[in-house]
This record gives sequence, C-alpha cells and structure tokens, in this order.
Amino acid sequence: MKSYGYAGRILDVDLGAGKVSAEGLDLASARRYIGGRGLNVARLVREIGLDVDPLSPENVLIIGTGPLDGTLFPGAARVNFTSKSPQTGILGDSNAGGFFGPELKFAGYDQVIIRGRADRLSYLFISDDGAEVLPAVDLAGLDVWETQKALLARHGRRAQVACIGPAAERGVKFSGIFCNLVRAAARTGMGAVMASKGLKAVVVRGTRPLEVARPDEFLDFIRALDTRILSHPEYKPRVALGTTRLLSALNAAGCLATRHFQTGRFEHADEVSGETLAARLRVKGKACFSCTIPCSRFFEVKSGPYAGLKSEGPEFEGLAGFTSRVGVRDLEAGLATLDMCNRAGMDAISTAECVSFAMECFERGIISRKEADGLDLTWGNIGAVQTLVRKIASREGFGDVLADGVREAARKIGRGSEDLAMHVKGLEIFMADPRGIKGYALGNAVASRGGDHLRSEPSFEFTQDAEAAVRRFGAREAAFRLEHKGKGRVVKHFEELCALADSLDACKNTIVNMEVLPFDDAATVLRAATGFDFDGAEVQAACERIVNLERCFITALGIRRSDDTLPRRFREEPMPAGCGATSGSTVALDEMLDEYYKARGWDVRTGVPTASTLRRLGLDEWASRLAERDVPIVDQ
Amino acid sequence: MYDLRVVVDEIRGFCDLPMEVGDYFEVSGGRITIPDGKFMCLWALQSILPMLPAKQRNIVEDNDWLSNTVRVACPDPNGMVIFRIERVGQPAGEGKTEHGPRGPRPRMLVNEKLCAGCRACELICSFTHERKFSDLLSRIHVAKVDEDGIDRPLVCRQCGNARCVEACPSGALSRDPETRCVLVDQALCGGCGACVRACPFDAITLHPERGAPLICDLCGGDPECVRRCPTGAISYGLAGVSEKAPRPGAPYRASAQGTPGDQEGNI
Repeated sequence: MKSYGYAGRILDVDLGAGKVSAEGLDLASARRYIGGRGLNVARLVREIGLDVDPLSPENVLIIGTGPLDGTLFPGAARVNFTSKSPQTGILGDSNAGGFFGPELKFAGYDQVIIRGRADRLSYLFISDDGAEVLPAVDLAGLDVWETQKALLARHGRRAQVACIGPAAERGVKFSGIFCNLVRAAARTGMGAVMASKGLKAVVVRGTRPLEVARPDEFLDFIRALDTRILSHPEYKPRVALGTTRLLSALNAAGCLATRHFQTGRFEHADEVSGETLAARLRVKGKACFSCTIPCSRFFEVKSGPYAGLKSEGPEFEGLAGFTSRVGVRDLEAGLATLDMCNRAGMDAISTAECVSFAMECFERGIISRKEADGLDLTWGNIGAVQTLVRKIASREGFGDVLADGVREAARKIGRGSEDLAMHVKGLEIFMADPRGIKGYALGNAVASRGGDHLRSEPSFEFTQDAEAAVRRFGAREAAFRLEHKGKGRVVKHFEELCALADSLDACKNTIVNMEVLPFDDAATVLRAATGFDFDGAEVQAACERIVNLERCFITALGIRRSDDTLPRRFREEPMPAGCGATSGSTVALDEMLDEYYKARGWDVRTGVPTASTLRRLGLDEWASRLAERDVPIVDQ
Repeated sequence: MYDLRVVVDEIRGFCDLPMEVGDYFEVSGGRITIPDGKFMCLWALQSILPMLPAKQRNIVEDNDWLSNTVRVACPDPNGMVIFRIERVGQPAGEGKTEHGPRGPRPRMLVNEKLCAGCRACELICSFTHERKFSDLLSRIHVAKVDEDGIDRPLVCRQCGNARCVEACPSGALSRDPETRCVLVDQALCGGCGACVRACPFDAITLHPERGAPLICDLCGGDPECVRRCPTGAISYGLAGVSEKAPRPGAPYRASAQGTPGDQEGNI
C-alpha cells in the first residue's frame, strides 16, 4: 500500500539470531502516537518486560522517525532512540538532529527495532534493498569521528551514520548515540544500550522518494510557516548564536550554573559567552536537514594551544558545561573539553555534572586528592577537568566511580555527597539553575526521562506577558520566571508541545520556543502530509497520551510524587547574593506539583494517573497493568 | 579596444594608504594615467592588472563571468577596497556591446561560504519538479564534509561555454535562447552520461529511472531553490554585480543575514 508522510515500514533486527525482517507500519497506532518518541514508547512498552535488565539482550533499542522527517518541514530532521535506560532504570529516550532521521525515511523505514546481542562487534547497514548486519571488529575502540570517517569511506559520502564512541564500549552509562559527528542523542545512556547489543553503528543510505498526501496544500503550508518563522523576533538571534546565546542571557538573569550551582553568575561569562565565540571563532552557520534556521555554527581555533580544533557546535549545554559549571574561563579550553566528550561519545550534560560534582566534593573535603587519583580538582583547573573527562570515558581510576552517573557516584562516595548530586531520577540536570526559572524547575522534577529541560522547555516564563499568561494559563504569574503560580499548567502545555515536536521528530526551537505550530496547524500539516483527517484536538490528545503513557511506564517502575523532586540545594538553599533578582530565591516545588497533577488529571497525593484520565486517553489497559504492580490507582 | 576608468567603488574595511571612494585612474591602450596629485595602491593594482586587457577587449561570449564582472577587490582582507572597472566611450568601428543585443543575463550564483548545508534546495527542487522528496530527483545537490564544515551547493551555472552541450554525442542538449539554461531533449538523449563527466561543477546527475540528465532549468526564471535558501548561498543574478539591497520576492535571503560576512562571492 502506498504511504504518505510515513515511509510505511518497520525494520526488525535480531542481532542474536542475525535475522532482519520488515513489517508494515500500523497506521492506527501511528495515528494514536504520531511517530518518533510517541510511537517508540508505545512500541517499547509492548516489546519489553517492565523489569528487564537494560543491558541484557532482552532489552530493545528502538530508532524512530516522524511523519514529516524527510520533507520540507523546517527542522523535521530528528530521530529518536528509545529503550529502557541503564543510567536511570526508567524510560530511556533521546533524540538527535542532523541528517540521519530523514535518510532512514528515504530508505523506506519509519522505525527500527533492534533486539538481542551480536556475538561480535557489528554494524547495521540499511539501504533501499533492506538491511544487513556487518562485522565492525575493525572499528572497535574508534572514536565517533574516526568511526564515521571509516564508515563513509565504505558506504559513500551520502550515507548517514549513527554511532557510539569508545565510552559506550567501555560501559559508560551516560554514553550517547552520535549522528553527523556532534549531533548527539546523548541523554539516558542510549549509547550504552547500543554497545550492550554489540552494535557499533547504524549506517543508512536511502533513495526512495517520499510523498505527501496533498502536495499543493503541503507546499502552501510550508511557505506560510517559513514566513512565520522568518518574521519571528527570535529568528535573528537564533541564527546568529543558536542556543549559545543562553550563556550570557542566563548569566544576566543570575541563574547560569556556575561552579556546580554554587552561584548563578560567572564572573568570566563574557570570556566564554556565545557572543565571544561568534566574534572570535565562528566560521559559518550550519543547519540540520531542511531547516529554515541555520542556528548551528561551525568554529575553528586558529591559534594558541588548541589551534586546529574545529567542529560544528557547540550548543549552550556543552559550552557552559565545560566553562562556567567547572569554573573554566578559557573558551578554547572549554571547547576542547567538549570535543573530547563528543569524540568519546558521552553526554555533555551528565559528564559536566559528574566532573563539577567531583570538584565540589573536593572543595568541601568530601573526597581527597588521593581518592581523585592525585588530581587537583580546584575550580578552573582545566588540566584536571580534561584528565577526568578522559578517565571517565575509559572508566579508569576515579573516572570509573563517576562513569555510572552522578547518582551512583554519590552512592559510592557517600559522606553527604548525595545532597550534591544534581540529578532527578538519576538523570543529571542541565546548565540553568532551577532557582531562577521555576517553570523549568518543575519541568525537570516531573520529566518522564528524569532531570531534563527538553521534556517541557517552558520558555513562556521569560515573556513577562501578563495578559497572555492570564488568557492562556489563568495566572499572570505564569509569564514571570521567578513566580510559582500557573507553572503547573504552563508545564503541562509545553510538555505536550514537546511531545508534538519529538513525535514529529522536528525541532523544538520552532515548535516549542517560537510556538509557530499550534495544535490546529499541526493537524493541518499532518492532514496534508499523511492524509489522516486529524484535527487540533486529536493531535493534542495524542500528545497528552504520549506523556501519560510514559508516566504509566515509569509509575509501573516505581516512580511516585516523592520522586518528582529536585536536589536539596534548589529547594532549600537560597540563591546567593550577586545574582540579581534571582538572589534569595528557592524553588517551592510542592505548590507547583499540586497544580501540575491537577492539570494532568493525576492523583495529587501519589502522582499516579487516575483511572478516568487513562480512560479518556484510551490507555485503559494501564489501569489494570498498574494495579497488578500494586500501584495505588484512584478513579478521580 | 575600449578605454577604461577604474574607480574606487566602495570601502568595506579600512585602507590606511588611504584610497578614497571616487579615486580613479584611466587606461588607454598600454598607458595608465593617474590624475594630478592622486596615487594608486600597489597592492590593489596588482590584483586589478590581469582584468585590464580583458576589459579593454570585446568578448563575444555573453554569459561568461569575465564579461560580466566589473568589480575587483583589493587583496588586503582588512581593507576590502572594491574597485569598479568602467568602459569609457565606444570602441572605434563597433556598434554593439560585448553582451550582444540583450545584455548580460542572470544565472545561478553560488557562495559556499554562506551555505549552512540544510539541503532544503534539494528538497524544493525535487518537490516542485517531481512532486516527491528525493535527492536523486533533484537538480541541485549539496556536497558535505562534516568534519571540515564544508557545504558546497552543486548546480548548473549556465556557463558561457557549456561543456555539457559540446560533449553530448546525440545533440540532446541545447541552450534556451532566453534564460540560457541547458535544455534536455528526452527523445534524443541516450543516457550515456557524457554531460555528467564534462561538467566542471559536478552539477549534472542522471535521472534514476529515465536515465536522462537532470540539469537546472531555472524554474522558468524564478528558481525555487533560491527562494527557499535561508542564507543566500545560492542566488540568481548577474555575476560580478553587487546586490546591496535585498531583492523583493526573496524574503529568505533578505532576513537571514546572520553573519557580518562576505555576501559577495563573485567580486
């Protein structure tokens, strides 16, 4: 049957049996979960037993794309990797931009299910003609850049590579899967899952034409959307600096993660800001597949000790992670550390947290220099930072203590270090201090994959648009970052927009931050692309269903209201003086949680979705599945 | 032969000589004349010199860069002093200009330094021509090297001497008299690929099923890829002519000036 928007097929790869097969995409399921993250989690909960060991052959790794991937839709370039996470023990899900997702569509697949474990290191090559599992023993230990180079030499420059680096092969729990060298599906340890399957890379070259159901309508929609994006006030700053502009913006707001969240202003922010980077090292703009906003950049260091360093990037997280978060004021050194992290194939957020956590433990005397393999972990000591990153990647010495993530590291170290481990549900939080952004604080606390900003991105709280806040979220405070009221409803809304972006596998810059695709418009473009007669309410319901299904999954794994929390510092220690309006602020999580659970239709006492919410979203079977696991489930 | 006047047209950087906008010298035959009290920069002169004999002469080829290029930049990257070469009067005994009766024509211009590598040009090209998304059906391609940040749009530039047309053994390729784009006669094409090999810009591929070459047809004079390009890396206009104001009908290009960079790859 001819397929529109979707490629129409799912590839099933059993690495243990060495068998590859294909099945048709179930369109009813596609309509309920859209694609990408949504279809992936729907498949994951069917495929695995809840208690499966994430690193066992019984876990599956699912690669998913959305119905707009491969089309002209701006930023529909992404790909989701979903599994049970070895880092957090709950939902593992991470996505990357670049060019891999569209190429998979062109090969004719919406989704790839990878199960089992290969008996020797292998890679998967997918083309129009199907897929084959090929030996990768010669690629063992190669870094991300070397791996891509070797595979492109074999399969041609038009092929796309998603691969793991040596850190994943060594079992670093926060290792990621990397596309186009630096486009990282880095969060929740999907690289570690891939490594556990004996899979070094997935290479795709696809040339099947992709069609949409109503070409004229589709093109008209894209032209109108482009105009909306190009005339948006956010357009120019995003093109000029991408996410790196956040470093100075958050520093000005007094909530830039500085020396492991000990304060919110970095006195050397100007030396390492996105603006400085652009003025000094930027070579050109870069974009993901089909994107109207070239928000990424390519830089090159031409002189000094790091001369010759060149790469696409960085994003804000990597830039701040290896500068302000660890107290480093040398921009080029920070970029070099990020480059090491990328090549080794590790999550920059988790790595920077583990390193800065160790530095604060060192400062407070919780760990000695001897325990840290003799490293002088004083703030700003770039040599020690880089050595520690290298040790984590190879799980050597003290690096081995950190390589399972900060929650595990604190458990091993003890001595009160648990309070300094900046994670939620085992996933390290990013480079903005939650005390200065209460909506993001809540978003981090409730995110289905653990401490993460990309599940909600409630940037609305920066707008100071009180009128819109009242109209949209019933409280003028919702538009102000330091206020708590209304944030429950804000986070609910933006979680659903994020679910939309992740399920279309399109970029959150436009859909979430710039809000250029309200649900009605999403329905319009999906009608034109897929032929489904979606309306806005159905699309929003699908997004709500995705959020709830993920919640059911982690609830079944034991997550409750008490887990929807933040590290003690953000709740109890006021932001120090010198951080502008943020000084003196803490996060009052409970009132935001109450509001959020009510908005979601979840039990305010436990954080468990109510039976009526599950019925409304067509997730009835989860009421009994949760009851079987003794989850207290109420009807209202 | 024409007489020439070379004028400082624009200074984008800083010239410490200094040359000033409006300064000029004249060329007549083999002689350079500088107005009294004025001077000419040695460095700029050495980069302009090769152009002078060419601009003195009538060039029959009407769509070649050489005949259309009138601006030359000083090689000092900090200076960015740009000179304009004007012709003074008419050459004796000739009634027509080098461009022929219709003058210079617009063509596809590529500045790979501006290309962000999104490949939207490929998508819009295949979609508007074939109503499908496929790089194999596109008449433009972006060659990419991730590790070096290279993104190079490959597209027909309507060369003066179209080697593809010359190379075709079956006479299937010709030039559109109006737009100068290369036309493909499907009935005559044997799919041999001689044009693909002859193109110096790697701009031609063969249709995956029909076998005939896919060559940019300029979309009839308003190329869709140019409309969709968010950075201005591909444009449609006169080679060598600076475009200071954004063109109407080109919103993508007009609003995407992210870098204070070199907008002009054809100086």
